[in-house]
Parts: sequence; structure tokens; C-alpha cells
Amino acid sequence: MDKSTIICRCEEISLEEIEKVISNGARTFDDIKRLTRCGMGPCQSKICNCLVAAAINEKTGTPFHEIPLPRMRMPISPIKLDTLATNSTTFSSVKSVLDEVELEDGKVR
Amino acid sequence: MKAVETDVLIIGAGPAGLAAAFETASRGLDVTVIDESLSLGGQLIQQTQNLSSLPSDLSPMRGFELAAHLIKQIEEYDIRYLLGHRVIGFYQDGTIGITDEVDVFPVKTKKMIVATGAAENAVAFPKWTLPGVLTIGAAQTLINRDFVKPGNDAVIVGSSDFAMDVALQLSEVGVQVKGIVEKSTGVLSRNTEKVKQVNKIGIPIYVDSSIVEARGMGAVEEIVIKQEDRVFTEKADLVCIDGGRSPILDIFYQLGTSFGFQKELGGWVPQYNKDFQTDCKDVFLAGNAAGVSTQGALVLTGRLAGMNVCEALGAVSKETAAVEKKGLWKELEIVETKYNLDIWHARNRHVDNFTHPVLKDQFIS
Repeated sequence: MDKSTIICRCEEISLEEIEKVISNGARTFDDIKRLTRCGMGPCQSKICNCLVAAAINEKTGTPFHEIPLPRMRMPISPIKLDTLATNSTTFSSVKSVLDEVELEDGKVR
Repeated sequence: MKAVETDVLIIGAGPAGLAAAFETASRGLDVTVIDESLSLGGQLIQQTQNLSSLPSDLSPMRGFELAAHLIKQIEEYDIRYLLGHRVIGFYQDGTIGITDEVDVFPVKTKKMIVATGAAENAVAFPKWTLPGVLTIGAAQTLINRDFVKPGNDAVIVGSSDFAMDVALQLSEVGVQVKGIVEKSTGVLSRNTEKVKQVNKIGIPIYVDSSIVEARGMGAVEEIVIKQEDRVFTEKADLVCIDGGRSPILDIFYQLGTSFGFQKELGGWVPQYNKDFQTDCKDVFLAGNAAGVSTQGALVLTGRLAGMNVCEALGAVSKETAAVEKKGLWKELEIVETKYNLDIWHARNRHVDNFTHPVLKDQFIS
């Protein structure tokens, strides 16, 4: 395939850029993501996942069952911050750092 | 805010989700069905092709007719529908975060059946990002659901059964299909009848071929095809990509289930046992999410997951469930071996792997 072919259309990452980081030692989707921004756009790797796995397989010979899936985080698909915040007082969809802090006598335990 | 508590939450209202809804709701369980679309039926509603390998209680019918049948079956039950809703994630206590696009609210459920289906895989070539290049499923949605003709001259990349179906449907609505390009040395479709029809209406199938590049200013105008040593150009304003499909896994990943790899089932598939239960014991799965297969198998896996949830919640006796499950597995074997023996074997291998020690948390990075 031509090196100029776009693999990640959200972030416009070409095959050439992906192959370059693989030759520098990247072995998983997440390695490539951290080095190139591949898969960090609105689709969150839903489109380029299989193309990147194919590039890793092609370049390193790693069989597909040894190429792990990209990490899939919450929220599962894009959501407006306004919606995510909710207007509820009893249910919070977003965890604040403070939610995880336990207090004892007014001090952090 | 409308916090929901339910016995069974079914994620996805396609053939598997609807079949599971019938099994569970008809046995008196409190069922909630969520789907991001505003209508029930999933991908079935734009499938005008005839479905041949259906369970024995269903006569051959078209996709949208199957959707209508499955919807009619559950009409009389008091099921809670959350249409136009999406799952956004899961909380540590097992609560499910659901959004209606205005608010996020919690859902608590005793058991969950995840029937999120499959997504189409991309095939990349230079300038595949030009407008006019879409997936084969998107082309079908445009013509059959939205009544929009997506182009005048089309080239299809890939030759699965589904590609043959859509090639015929595009031709029927007046799109000139200039050719089907397949990189393998033979046509992938196993439905010889459909391939014959495609040949009959004069659509050339180029095997052992690939796309060199798409060309065009602002939209695809022509496509360069390479067959062995021959390179030629076709005028096309529509390129339909059929790269196969893979299970949609985000929800399973968030729940922390294990995965196994089966190429024939679409690649990575959540691990499950003979009861369609994942290694998170309250989470069951069905449909294409449990391995990409034919519509008849999707319905049967939905029924199986539903039956197992009924058993787990005490809505049917162990004895009844055992008989029903045996029958459903037999039926699944008949449908799936008739459709594609490789898929049936891969499904069995995958189920067998569940009992072997599986690598857990392998994707946590």
C-alpha cells in the first residue's frame, strides 16, 4: 500500500507515520496512539483499529491474536460535557478527585 | 432524573436483543431494552434481501419482515424501551450510566444481555477519505432506509454475501455497478445463487485485484484498479467498502470481560460459555457481539441468552431450561453449519476456550 495512505482519518495519520513508530519499537495500538495521536479523534479508534493491527502484523509479523485491542475508556461514545455533568443532585456521572478522598476529623485520612 | 431498576437490561434492539427480550419478558421478568437508534430492529430494518437460513419456526423472509415479526412478538409485554439512549459507561458498584442526550441517569439491573452487534471494518487505499467512499452497509442504509441514491456509478471493494446483496440492491435503484473488486483469488460469497444473479446482470467481478487509488477533486471521480499486471481506471462517484465486520466490544471492555481471538467470528470476541455467559457472571451476550454470523444464528443466540437469564433468575425451572437450551443449540448447529461450517467450528472452539484458563486483564495498559 502507498505510504501516504491515511490510516487514522480523524487525526490524519498516514501509514508512513505508523510504520515509522513501529520500526522504533511500537508493538500495540496504544503504543502507536501515544506516539502519533492515531485513534485519538472523535471516533476513538473505532475505524482505524483494524487497519493499525494490519500494519503491525505486516511490519513485525506478529499474529493478530497477539496484537491487543486498544484501551476503550468511558465515555463509550462522545457526549456533551453539559449532558455528562447532569442536573441531578443525587447522582453524579462524573467522579471528582475529591470523591476519592476520605476525610476523618476534617483531615485527609 | 429517571433512575431505573430492572431484572434484565438488554443493550441493543437488533435481532438478538429482540429475541432475548421475548424470551425474558414472556416469562414474567421485568425487561428494559436500550438502543441508540429511535426504532427497534437494528440493522434488519434496511435489509430487503431474503434471509434463507432462519430457525425452523420462521419461514424465509426479508430482513425488515423479520424485524416486524420480532417486534410483534413482544408487543403484548410490558417492556421498558429506552430508545435514543446510549450506555456511556459503568460504575464500580455495577450501576450503568445511560444518557438520553439531555441527562445521564443510573440503571441498576440483576442481569444484563449485551447485544451490541458488529461494526464494519475499513479497507484503506490512497484517498479513501474522499467523499463518495462509504461502507457497503452505509450504502444500503441510504437506499433502503433513507431512500437516497448515493451515486450513479459505483465500484464495490470486497465480495462477501452482503456485498452481493447490496450490489443487486444498488442496481435495482438505478446505480450502475461498474465492478466488484476482490483481493482474494476467489469470490468470498458462498451464496452461489446471488453470485449468479450478479453475473447475470453483467456486473464484472475482478478477483486477485486491489484498488491502487481513488482520484477526484473534493469527491471521488474515478478509481484505479489493479488486476495482476493490468491497471485500469473506472469512472465512479461511489465506492462501497466491504471489509467484513467485527464485534463491537466497548461495553465488554468496560465491564472487564476476557476476550479470545477467532478470525472466523470477526476477530476479538468476548469469552463466553455454553450459556452465553461471560466471565462477569451477571453479563450475558448475544448476536453479532458473540461472533459475526447469519441473521438466523443471531436470533437463536438471543433466545439462548434470554433462556439462560430466565434460568439464572428462577423464571424457568432448571429442567425446562435444559431441554430448551439443548433444542436451541441443536437449531443453532443446523442454521450455522448450513450457512458456514467454519463459523460453527470457530464458535465451538471459542466456547471451549472459556473453560481453559484464559489470559485475564490482558488489555490493561
